[in-house]
Amino acid sequence: MKRQQPNGFFNRFLMALVALFLYAPIFILIIFSFNAGTSSSVWKGFSLHWYGQLFHNQIIMRSVYITLLVSLLATVIATIAGTFAAIGFYAMRRRRRDALMAVNNIPMMNADIVTGVSLALLFVVFFNGWSSFAGWVNSWQSAVVLPEKLSMGFGTLLIAHVMFNIPYVILSVGPKLRQMDRNLVDAAQDLGCTWMQAFWKVIIPEIKPGIVSGALTAFTMSIDDFIISYFTAGSSTSTLAMTIYGMTKKRVSPEINAISTLLFVTVLLLLAIVNIREASMERQGERRRTAAAVPGFTRTSDGKMPVWMRVVAGAVGCGLLAVLIISGRSANARPVVNVCSWGEYIDEELITEFEETTGIHVNYQTAESNEALYSLIAMGGADFDVIVPSDYMIARLIEEDRLAELDYDNIPNFQLIGEQFTHLSYDPENKYTVPYTWGSLGIIYNETMVDEPITSWDAMFDPKYAGQVLMINNSRDALAAALLDLGYDINTTDEAQLTEAFQLLKDAKDNGVYQAFVMDQVFQKMEGGNAAIAMYYAGDYLTMLENNEDLRYVVPEEGSNWFVDAMCVLKTSQHKREAEAWINFIASTESNLANMDYIWYASPNAEALEQYPDYYLELYEEELDEELYNIMALPDEERERCTLYINLPPETLALYNDLWNRLGV
Amino acid sequence: MIRLHDLCMAFDDELVLDHINLYINDSEFLTLLGPSGCGKTTTLRIIGGFTTPTSGDVTFDGVRINDVPPHKRQINTVFQKYALFPHLDVFENVAFGLRIAKVPEAEVTERVTEMLEVVSLKGFERRHIDQLSGGQQQRVAIARALVNRPKVLLLDEPLGALDLRLRKDMQIELKRIQQQMGITFIYVTHDQEEALTMSDTVVVMDKGRIQQIGTPEDIYNEPKNAFVADFIGESNILNGTMVRDGVVRMYRREFPCVDGGFAPNEPVDVVIRPEDIDIVPVEQGQLVGTVTNVTFKGMQYDIIVDLGGFKWLIQTTDHSPVGAQVGVKIDPEGFHIMKKSEYSGMFGDYSSYSEEYEELGAAAPDEEESGDEE
Repeated sequence: MKRQQPNGFFNRFLMALVALFLYAPIFILIIFSFNAGTSSSVWKGFSLHWYGQLFHNQIIMRSVYITLLVSLLATVIATIAGTFAAIGFYAMRRRRRDALMAVNNIPMMNADIVTGVSLALLFVVFFNGWSSFAGWVNSWQSAVVLPEKLSMGFGTLLIAHVMFNIPYVILSVGPKLRQMDRNLVDAAQDLGCTWMQAFWKVIIPEIKPGIVSGALTAFTMSIDDFIISYFTAGSSTSTLAMTIYGMTKKRVSPEINAISTLLFVTVLLLLAIVNIREASMERQGERRRTAAAVPGFTRTSDGKMPVWMRVVAGAVGCGLLAVLIISGRSANARPVVNVCSWGEYIDEELITEFEETTGIHVNYQTAESNEALYSLIAMGGADFDVIVPSDYMIARLIEEDRLAELDYDNIPNFQLIGEQFTHLSYDPENKYTVPYTWGSLGIIYNETMVDEPITSWDAMFDPKYAGQVLMINNSRDALAAALLDLGYDINTTDEAQLTEAFQLLKDAKDNGVYQAFVMDQVFQKMEGGNAAIAMYYAGDYLTMLENNEDLRYVVPEEGSNWFVDAMCVLKTSQHKREAEAWINFIASTESNLANMDYIWYASPNAEALEQYPDYYLELYEEELDEELYNIMALPDEERERCTLYINLPPETLALYNDLWNRLGV
Repeated sequence: MIRLHDLCMAFDDELVLDHINLYINDSEFLTLLGPSGCGKTTTLRIIGGFTTPTSGDVTFDGVRINDVPPHKRQINTVFQKYALFPHLDVFENVAFGLRIAKVPEAEVTERVTEMLEVVSLKGFERRHIDQLSGGQQQRVAIARALVNRPKVLLLDEPLGALDLRLRKDMQIELKRIQQQMGITFIYVTHDQEEALTMSDTVVVMDKGRIQQIGTPEDIYNEPKNAFVADFIGESNILNGTMVRDGVVRMYRREFPCVDGGFAPNEPVDVVIRPEDIDIVPVEQGQLVGTVTNVTFKGMQYDIIVDLGGFKWLIQTTDHSPVGAQVGVKIDPEGFHIMKKSEYSGMFGDYSSYSEEYEELGAAAPDEEESGDEE
């Protein structure tokens, strides 16, 4: 014992290091959830503001409700099914049982993503089969009309959760059964029980600890599952983890820190309960055994849970129920519209307002990127009504005949959209789209870290700023910067021009110009002053400026890309009327003002664009900085220097892919 | 009362019970005795209703009960390792059957208290099962079964897990309880001493067949074949020829005996119990041999004597040194003559004395249920 003493300090130091390594990220997250500012790298004082904000966030509250509901239901179902399965396993011969246990363990070891994708595939295949079956049934009889179109949603999410929870229950019930004396059931039957009575009066009390810890594990797994839910929840349902992920699309807001902290604390609590249960049960067993050795010992405790544990368990149960009720209040309205947009891309109060005025329930989902949205649609598992893709993706969807023509009579507010934002290249006759926002791509730089104001795309490739430049991590934008710098069209299909642009990028990369290729990390790096130059979107620049006043934005003299995100309705939509009502509502001047103020992307609504400075003055009682407003909503002459992306032909897209891979980011 | 008629039981084509026929009388203490895997526990489980026989009938007071589930039989069981309910205390364990039967609460208390008195566990009502010693658990198991006032109590090696001392006490205790309650006990064991001590009737089983049924005295003194002779106590079993009634021939000489009823010159198995053999001076002996091994056993010496290549076990209070030439003398009553059977030649030779003796002493607990795994 003594001999270990010299190493004591070193050991403890290592332990502390390991603990730090493991928990530092979560610790930082928790700290920043109390940050008064919006940044996740600059501390602006303590505040509970973000926690308060959470409870007013419709989307988050709804996803909390869905998460709890699906976790509870899945836990109950999986616990029952798993317990009976374990009993079935137990009754088998050893060899068959071992084989089945191995099969049981595979889903737990299996990569979640494989499980998720395969479940999604199974559902889609089943739905296709079902729709032909239902069509056939409906064709020859009319007594029972079967729904022909099924889509992923709460049901599939629940099935998936039950499926991945069952193995955990089996795993924790199985050993308890094996520890149980085989004769107990016989003994109970011998004493007059039917099998069912024996099951309730003897087996269940015996394996109860296993069932409870299995259920708790299952619940924990359900609560924090993301990947499998993501693939199986469809478009009308979203768990908390999925919502958080959607929110990170734009940037990690302190609201996410707050909700993540709560999620972490919940899971921590559950794990603690499981562990304390097990430990106290072991201790109890120990105590009894020693007590048996002492003659004349009288028991003091009755072997059941101590009072405080019952109180805690009761409180946790009540709490869960309360959250379910509170968060579930507004989740049952009908009819519905399923909207899929980007994270942090709407003032959520608009959703509430829309629901209150129209009575239409909004299922608001988010996707991470145009490409992810496209694959969701192409796979057929999504049943979105309204989507908000970007210009080039709209062109592709129109080309593939996936969008429905809109009835503009139902969307009178379309009149308010500035004419410079309609009839654009992606929808020349403007039959499918109503613009949502628009913005520009440009260079953000920290004026204290550069010698002179940046005006040209050259800065993105200049060895002078080696190690200080953040290149955008997306092939289209990165190559666009190079093409613009070389004076070419950003929509070029010329292989030579593209290769030249690639070479420019590659040389800069090889010369160490780039500190990193980033998307969301750009916020932390620029706000924290860790990099001098980055290319990103104007709306995001305004967010960064809040936390670092030295940042500047420029649309370089060579021109740039500008983009429009527009609302469209999918051809497969089942709620076209509601979808058009939603689009009309969002296109209104009031909605555009609210959104502009919330997300800091420019509105295409002419009235809103004009009224925003006054709106700002009224709301915040200070002048809107005109310079900033011109960055958010580029004046027309500056915007005309910019070009929209068009949907590239497949061979050019392939070339982009190839070049990007060769760059080796 | 209980009758087993042509009972057969097969697990996966393996015949575990082979045409068992058995009558069990009211208030009888009947023991099923046999080595591991002989089918005795299976028989018990069939009577208890936990296993359904492949063929044959079980009747209870003349009614066929093959398909009657355990909870509808007026039979209770004391299981191997007791199978007490760990989540209940002593009182609730004993009261379990009464509660299932919805007996009024006052009567439950009365009967449980009374039964705990019978098994000398008064004052232990609120103890938890894992606070009890093995013997106490055993008695709870018995009380739990008896409180339901069964007509038959089945006991499956109930004493197997207890140490020797406790086992002896419990044997007497069980016999007392059985006489006090006046009901039928069917007892399963592989311990021949236990069987002989407690039983009214012993049923010796092997390989799924009944080898012999009889009182303990019958079984010991008049074993039907080499298996029974060997399994019950120690035996020297030799080949012999029954010359005529009262005369058996072995070692090329004739010995007087008291058995008869065989064909002239019929080959037979001759059983001689070790305690029925006297060691005498060489000149007085009917046979002469050499002592090859002597073991002190407390009450007597176990002496192995080589008689013409066949090693005999002789138990005597007189010590003879290894290597000594001794004479051997057997009274006519000492011979027991058996017809030849499939077991002839398999038992009764002590050439490999020490190993076999040890094995018998430490016979493993019964694990004959082929369905069992643990």
